[in-house]
Amino acid sequence: MARNPLKDQLAVVGVGSTPYGRDLKRTELSLALEAATAAVEDAGLDRQEIDGICGTGMDPLAMGGSGFLTLQGALGIEKTTWQKNGWLGSCFVYAAEAVFSGLCDTVLVVQAYTRGIGMSRSAAADPFRLRSAQLRAAGGHTIVGQSDPARRWIHSGEPYAAWMARYLHDYGATKDVFARIAVNNRTHATTNPRAAMRTPITMEDYHASRVIWEPMQMLDMDVPVDCGEALIITTAERARDLRHSPVYIHAMSLGGSRVGEYYDNSLGWTENALWISLAGLRERSDLTIDDLDLFFPYDGYTIDTVGCIEAAGFCKPGETADLLASGWDAEANIYRLGGHTLVSTNGGALSHGRAGGFNFYTEAVRQLRGTEGERQVPDARTALVCAGASFFHDPASVMLRTD
Amino acid sequence: MTGMADAAEVTHATDAEVFAALPAVLIDRDNVEHYRGLLARRLLINRCAACGYWVYPHRPLCPKCWSWDVVPTQVSGDGFVFLCTLVHQERDPDAAPGEPVSTAAVELVEQPGLRYLAPVVNCPPDRVRLDMPVRLTWVDRDGVAWPAFQPSGPIEGGR
Repeated sequence: MARNPLKDQLAVVGVGSTPYGRDLKRTELSLALEAATAAVEDAGLDRQEIDGICGTGMDPLAMGGSGFLTLQGALGIEKTTWQKNGWLGSCFVYAAEAVFSGLCDTVLVVQAYTRGIGMSRSAAADPFRLRSAQLRAAGGHTIVGQSDPARRWIHSGEPYAAWMARYLHDYGATKDVFARIAVNNRTHATTNPRAAMRTPITMEDYHASRVIWEPMQMLDMDVPVDCGEALIITTAERARDLRHSPVYIHAMSLGGSRVGEYYDNSLGWTENALWISLAGLRERSDLTIDDLDLFFPYDGYTIDTVGCIEAAGFCKPGETADLLASGWDAEANIYRLGGHTLVSTNGGALSHGRAGGFNFYTEAVRQLRGTEGERQVPDARTALVCAGASFFHDPASVMLRTD
Repeated sequence: MTGMADAAEVTHATDAEVFAALPAVLIDRDNVEHYRGLLARRLLINRCAACGYWVYPHRPLCPKCWSWDVVPTQVSGDGFVFLCTLVHQERDPDAAPGEPVSTAAVELVEQPGLRYLAPVVNCPPDRVRLDMPVRLTWVDRDGVAWPAFQPSGPIEGGR
């Protein structure tokens, strides 16, 4: 017998559909919004009760179509704790399992299709369909921004650089806050045989590094690498019969904010999806940051780590500079949070290498198993991983623990 | 309008003219009026006729009240610099290194959080400051007049 613990546990409560036509002269997004609003109204729900969205397509960064990033903002849904894009029949299953798992309570699934230029002669003659096809990227959705002379800020470095400037301006911090993060991660990488960048650096090295997008410098940015990472998840019961001491998934949360597609229109520093994800984790976790041995904040850019530290609650917004200064170990060239928690013990994306944060999970598991020899953190029992925690897309927070 | 740009001004371009003038832009039925406006040197942002909310990025539905009555509406052009970065290095690896270029998210006075991305001009890049008041102007790029912003008050010293 296969397990079917979700038997009779879920129901469809609302449906919405648009007219079908060969040329409705509307965008994919417009059709998606009509169906979505109709389904919400059919269900009699307040739209703010929706806390999970499955949009259309295969690419989580897809923009310009009807992916979750676009839908949440276009529908004015303030917060979600689960998001995904999907298509065909499987998207229904993803959404169902999200509700069953507790990652969200009420999920909206939206699928929209339009007639492509390869599907008919008249479609190929439509300048709107043609332009969409010309700028269409792999994954089925149009990526705007890079090719747009308006230079919209999408998921790239320039807006993070601009947010670094805003952070320094609003909170009166100096760039030492970013320098300490870069140095800490490099120091840990020097003991990680897998790390791409193992030459120690100093605060002075950070400040002297090349300016790319002012105020962002080279050492604020992660290191692109070729790499591979994998892990296997099974039930806790089965895990207890296997070779290693189990590392349990204690709690998880994703996060989505109403404005989450274009960084120029982003909400405030403490209102973006990263903060929603970590708040969602707190609501689901019996463990707190006071219990934490290891912390793996995202560090695609150093400003991401500042956001993770503050959103996790280690300090108030704007206080990371003081927190890192007071937690700085000048002998070891690392910092600890709350006098105890070690951060990015693999070197992070900044110095171990850019693996979308997936290397945070594998490092956390190894440390929690206690198998890391000379570089083992003594008695590490809990780890909080914020992998891929950009301001908006896919900021996952995962609390891991051992017995 | 400053007259500094020499780009052609078209009072009401056809769809075909909009597509031809902006070959690299994702123009769709939800944003075409915005780009038609640019060709006439008018900065149009979608506004909800039912509740008055400015809808940007451009959507066909008001995210506040779910009205579909969203109308492209000209903004005053006044705002302030909310975010800004100086681009020292272009993404194109073949691009020649040049002077740093400012790219700013300008918050328009019409609505908190309503921001338009554009360069800051007529101001030395190292004098661009966050919260600095600015006003819309137009710059020529590839034969098209694009929105830009310039200081609307005195320029302060280096930061």
